[in-house]
Amino acid sequence: MASEPEKAIAGVWYPAGSSRATPASLSAKGSEWKAVGSDGAVLTTGGFSKLEISARVGAIPRRITFADGSTFETSDNDAIDAAIKPHGGRAFGLVHSLERFHPRLALFVVLVVVLAVGIYRYAVPAMVEVAVLVTPPVVPELLGQSVMASLDQTVFAPSQLDEDIRDGISKDFRAIAAFSERGADAFTLNFRQGGPIGPNAFALPDGTLVITDELVALADDRDAILGVLAHEIGHVEHQHSLRQLYRAAGVTGLIFLIGGDIGAGIEDILIQGAALTSLTYSRGMETDADRYSVELMYRAGRDHAAIARFFELLRDHFHDNSESDFLSSHPATPERIEETRRYAEELRTGGE
Amino acid sequence: MNDMSAQLGQTQPSLRREQFVFSGSAREYFGIWIVNILLTILTLGIYSAWAKVRRNRYFYGNTSLAGASFDYHARPVQILIGRIVVVAILIAYNVALQFLPIFGGLLSILFLLAIPWFVMRGLRFSARVTSYRNVRFDFTGRYGGALLAYVFGGLVTWLTLGILAPVASRWMWRYTLGNLRYGDRPIQCDPRLEKLYGQLVMPMAVFITGFIAISLLGIGIFSTASGIGYDLENFSSDIAMVGIEAAIYAAFIPFFLLYVLVGLLYRAGTRNVAFNETVIDGRHMLGSEIGRWRYAWIAISNFFATLFTLGLARPWAAVRMARYMATVTALHSAGSLDDYLSTVMQPEGVVGAEYMDVEGLDFGF
Repeated sequence: MASEPEKAIAGVWYPAGSSRATPASLSAKGSEWKAVGSDGAVLTTGGFSKLEISARVGAIPRRITFADGSTFETSDNDAIDAAIKPHGGRAFGLVHSLERFHPRLALFVVLVVVLAVGIYRYAVPAMVEVAVLVTPPVVPELLGQSVMASLDQTVFAPSQLDEDIRDGISKDFRAIAAFSERGADAFTLNFRQGGPIGPNAFALPDGTLVITDELVALADDRDAILGVLAHEIGHVEHQHSLRQLYRAAGVTGLIFLIGGDIGAGIEDILIQGAALTSLTYSRGMETDADRYSVELMYRAGRDHAAIARFFELLRDHFHDNSESDFLSSHPATPERIEETRRYAEELRTGGE
Repeated sequence: MNDMSAQLGQTQPSLRREQFVFSGSAREYFGIWIVNILLTILTLGIYSAWAKVRRNRYFYGNTSLAGASFDYHARPVQILIGRIVVVAILIAYNVALQFLPIFGGLLSILFLLAIPWFVMRGLRFSARVTSYRNVRFDFTGRYGGALLAYVFGGLVTWLTLGILAPVASRWMWRYTLGNLRYGDRPIQCDPRLEKLYGQLVMPMAVFITGFIAISLLGIGIFSTASGIGYDLENFSSDIAMVGIEAAIYAAFIPFFLLYVLVGLLYRAGTRNVAFNETVIDGRHMLGSEIGRWRYAWIAISNFFATLFTLGLARPWAAVRMARYMATVTALHSAGSLDDYLSTVMQPEGVVGAEYMDVEGLDFGF
């Protein structure tokens, strides 16, 4: 039921930049459109190609701005669409026709859910892999150097361990690191007094490893210490810190992608939820590094179940006061100990 | 303000009350909303700029006063550029924090000082792309005002545990509403401090009562629950750990909800005060009469409805809130609204507007 183009469209007309509304009608005949006052006087006129016609959104009034800056406003959206049609403005109404209330919208809901889940499950991990691949080596280097420098300034003190203990650990460390893909030269082992972070060991993405005096004192077992260091080598080899960084960026991007208008409260919940899932993600990385430790120690011909022994040590030591940071990111759960033991056993029986 | 009312009394003894009307519907907005999300995902975020324009045009265009509607004029490409710049800034900032942790503190301070600038530019942009009866708004606030309202205001509120919140509210409303212009005519807003304090009494009382009640309840529950936790530890320390973590989270939720509720009650009250002391062009007066509990109820029930429908109720919730806000807002007009003229201004400052959008600061009409 398109109205004939000859029929005048009722609305109001505003002179350029003025709030003075004049009841008017629009004559949209051919390529020359006219706004006509109620007394029949022509208020303005303009060629169709010079008009600026606002897009149709819901049932809100349409604005037709003439070249002289004056504006005709009408709620008769259908009449405007009919008047535009002969000029071939098909694309004008495309989005609006998608938005109409229609069973098709249910399909859109399903599509949105499928796409969002798909992006989260497949696209984000794939993008993380690509990003890790294309990251120039200078990035982890800068990252590692700056973190190490700031930790040295704020947290650490120089190691108080005996020179020969340190040399011994360093020598054994190089021996097992030689069996990694990157080779022994890719890693630097540093000894520091942990202070507030207590018994701890960690790896920076550039291959800088740190072990605290407190951890060496606690373990008092060369293979257990090496097992922990092999675990840290695993983090470096599998580029876990970069992966985690990129994944966080990807998930945040995804939230902004779907969260255009979802309410501030829900957006906060999504962000909190993303933080929780990144926690499980980092637990997954710990398991991965545990397995790596077992494999590397096995290749190096050391006691490859040593890391499990270290976890037991931790569990016994910190049973009542779990104050250690190492423990909160590396929980010495029974499952974890059992899993590493099982994997070590599997390697032994499979290997021999 | 006093001589202004006197002047009003002389020239126009009776003000005509014009009610704001919101005529959008959840049914209609649902289509716009889901198509916005779908196309945004399909275009990898690029459509989000077009989506924002359509959403704002829907809400502005459906808000009318005295038979004429508002409109939103931002161009999608403008918004897109703004978004790209904001994302680039945020990435650069986060990368800098990663690489230069030593300068982290300095960087955060620099960023904090940049926020008022973003806010100022953002408010200007939003005002300039908003029109009513073919006349654009404008915003003339400067950096200093934004620094006072947003940085010092926030600091003062937190440091005094909310006791000086009305001072911050006064800065905020004076800055946002008082620097607004309709065409070339000024809008004045100077909410009196004692009135703002009046709006703090009830929310404070709710907070104190709620805090005591939740604490007592919490102590009761925890003393029984910790016994269970201890038993569990013999089974598996992992389960016990998860249980304790969950319990700590759960304990915070009631306090958090209480904080949100009190914030909503207070905010609604200050909006009433600020609007009721706002004069447009020295003669038209804004009016706001939000029911504070009703407002809090709508906001909280909207949130849970959206949560439990996995987002699908969001269009309904947004329309419901817009409709309520329109019904409690009015203009007491002192005569014709015909004689206003737009001053031609370039709508610059889109980066600020998009920054505010990303950070969830929203000051649309």
